[in-house]
Amino acid sequence: MSVAHTGGACAVCYRAVARDRIPSMNVVVCVKQIPDPADPGSLDPQTKTLKRDGKLILDESDSYGVEMALQLVDTAGGGEVTLVSMAPNNEVSGLRTALAMGAAKAVLVSDDALAGTDALGTAKVLAKAIERAGDADLILAATESSDGYTGTVPEQIAELLNLPSVTFAKEIAIDGSTAKIQRQTEAGYDDVESPLPALVSVTAGVVEPRYPSFKGIMAAKSKPVDEVTLGDLGIDAGSVGWAGGGQEIVEVTAAEEREAGTIVEDDGEGFNKIVDYLAELKVI
Amino acid sequence: MYEWSEEQEMIRRAVRDFVDREIRPHREALEFGDLPPYDLLRKLFSTFGMDAMQRDSFKRRIERERAIEAGDAVAEKAEGPRDANSVAFTMIPIIELCRVCPGMVTAMGVSMGLTGAAIMGKGTIAQKERWALDLLTMDKVGAWAITEPNSGSDAFGSMMSTARRDGDEFVLNGSKTFITNGPHADTIVFICKLDEGNPPAERKIVQFVLDSGMPGLEQSKPLRKMGIHSSPTGQLFLDDVRVGMDRLLGESLDAYGGKSGREASKATFSMERAGVAAMALGIVDRCMELSIAYANDREQFGQPIGQFQLIQLKLAKMEVARMNLQNLVFRHIEMSAAGVGMSFAEASAAKLYAAQAATEVALEAVQLFGGNGYMAEYEVEQLARDAKVLQIYAGTDEIQISAVARSLLADQAGAT
Ligand SMILES: Cc1cc2nc3c(=O)[nH]c(=O)nc-3n(C[C@H](O)[C@H](O)[C@H](O)COP(=O)(O)OP(=O)(O)OC[C@H]3O[C@@H](n4cnc5c(N)ncnc54)[C@H](O)[C@@H]3O)c2cc1C
Ligand SMILES: Cc1cc2nc3c(=O)[nH]c(=O)nc-3n(C[C@H](O)[C@H](O)[C@H](O)COP(=O)(O)OP(=O)(O)OC[C@H]3O[C@@H](n4cnc5c(N)ncnc54)[C@H](O)[C@@H]3O)c2cc1C
Repeated sequence: MSVAHTGGACAVCYRAVARDRIPSMNVVVCVKQIPDPADPGSLDPQTKTLKRDGKLILDESDSYGVEMALQLVDTAGGGEVTLVSMAPNNEVSGLRTALAMGAAKAVLVSDDALAGTDALGTAKVLAKAIERAGDADLILAATESSDGYTGTVPEQIAELLNLPSVTFAKEIAIDGSTAKIQRQTEAGYDDVESPLPALVSVTAGVVEPRYPSFKGIMAAKSKPVDEVTLGDLGIDAGSVGWAGGGQEIVEVTAAEEREAGTIVEDDGEGFNKIVDYLAELKVI
Repeated sequence: MYEWSEEQEMIRRAVRDFVDREIRPHREALEFGDLPPYDLLRKLFSTFGMDAMQRDSFKRRIERERAIEAGDAVAEKAEGPRDANSVAFTMIPIIELCRVCPGMVTAMGVSMGLTGAAIMGKGTIAQKERWALDLLTMDKVGAWAITEPNSGSDAFGSMMSTARRDGDEFVLNGSKTFITNGPHADTIVFICKLDEGNPPAERKIVQFVLDSGMPGLEQSKPLRKMGIHSSPTGQLFLDDVRVGMDRLLGESLDAYGGKSGREASKATFSMERAGVAAMALGIVDRCMELSIAYANDREQFGQPIGQFQLIQLKLAKMEVARMNLQNLVFRHIEMSAAGVGMSFAEASAAKLYAAQAATEVALEAVQLFGGNGYMAEYEVEQLARDAKVLQIYAGTDEIQISAVARSLLADQAGAT
């Protein structure tokens, strides 16, 4: 994806000019707060969904987006990172972690009517929350969450906001009003370019998320979290939640047991068997 | 305070995560190899901004002291209440590190807490700037040397090390042993007696700050020992080390002596002893976690060993110790936050209990693990060896007992 820039007329380029004068970069990061994977979770037998009534934490998948956003703002020399999240019970624990890492503020959507919201409904809500967060040069999300992992929310948000969407980013560099992105593929990566603002989903593990400093943790408490409901965002409750969901979970079955592996006895030539096996899998 | 606050809990989680990822993988090298702990400690400090916080508070303190020196009355602010968080933030890394390598806390505590604090307590502003800041940030490694081959519990009574005056200079001689960080220290606080030709019992106690590499100063290789291998311990030999007045702590021969000197060392001991409660909590917490998992997992006579009442007794006692230690740590945080110092007797009682509880729990964990508990591969083996030192250094159990008892008897005598 690449667009030609012709100058002052287009909104994107106007932003670029403004940025040249005051170097700054505002990044919005979608962060999901999920049940702690270290505590064994359980399914609600009625709705067949994960119980989310306990304390939620920052999804590790999103810590990479937060780190990348902080680095981009640092590189730009100005601007800030804003978080958006949708979660039950006004949960802020996960947001505090990302605020402690260095994000400046957050928008949190919490509403009883959101129970049962599917991926598209989530995208609708987050799209409005992103608009509320203010002018963004770039919006980041993870490729997929650790609990729901449909891997569809970021692209749906992009569509709703009418923004270019780039997936599987492993590196992002900003050049004026263009994002230069290395997009991970099975064979390596593609170099792609996108005009800003854009929505980019980041692959897990591509950067080393920083630990929050003690000072950062203390500061996080007083950073603003804008807690909003569906009404504040102008979203009709009937378009989200169980009511608006286009999906139904009909059955949950246990995952298949893993089969026992194959044991290769080494008679001195064992490596040949392994090579054959790998060749059969077309790994080599 | 009856539980960690939300912020403190966040710090605990972040530090535990760091320790698991950055320190635990080096446990073998730290505990069974000879990897010095300092670079890993520096990484801990810089990751959480502890070095920057130390620098900030050092700067504020020096500015205040300068103002006081200049006679600015507004600056005169007594040590008042502290923010509970700032106290908790020093306890949490101690607890979390002790879940893996209690020796690292010893190395850190002696460098920063003991050596750094000795210079901050008694040094001139110039001496603080020259040596203390780098110790407080862990940029440099410090050692604090009082124990000698023939003087331990009776540290001052039988001390042989001497300083003799020679014109404007002093000539130092003596040997020190069991000195934490001795083999690697950049900065050493050397405690000795001023020999003015008078009998040893009448000599003044003086302290000097030495730099590694000074002519006549020898730092031994690490001594082989029972536990806390991640804390290098060594000997120091001084053979006619010549120093100027600038290295005499406080630049005064009376800085250590007299009532105020003894009060200052009591304050240092109190702080050190509160640190031991946090160390014990970390050791007990980890031993318990491992023991519970093992009791559920290991089966004998057709059932998990956790079903046997004798094993249950061990677990229940571990929990009692953990609760008591946590309460001691919370009490220390609360008291510091309120600006109240722990009395010497209370600090001694706390240290005595903490050291014994940690040793007992760790040995019971070894017992619960059976043969595996005796094998180096299982962490409880190391923690049991490590815990034992808590009953010996920073004043032995016996010395704590007499401090507590003497205080009780004196109170009674005072009342009648
Ligand atoms: C049956 C059911 C019940 C639900 N109940 C509730 C509920 O009660 N309350 C509630 O708030 N949600 C609820 N949800 C929404 C759900 O938690 C997910 O947010 C949504 O389904 C997205 O799916 P995913 O995790 O597969 O997203 P993916 O597409 O895998 O996520 C990709 C990335 O998009 C971003 N993202 C996704 N979800 C969020 C989010 N919520 N906030 C911020 N960023 C996000 C993250 O960056 C994430 O890594 C429910 C969903 C279902 C299906
Ligand atoms: C790992 C380690 C690190 C150390 N680090 C340092 C350091 O950094 N700097 C430093 O200066 N020192 C350090 N020490 C020394 C430590 O402080 C001393 O070992 C300790 O004070 C005990 O002294 P001692 O070894 O001479 O034992 P002793 O004093 O000889 O004691 C022997 C036994 O007699 C008992 N005893 C002694 N006096 C009495 C009494 N009055 N009543 C009843 N019982 C008594 C003791 O409790 C003990 O059981 C360290 C020691 C160890 C093991």
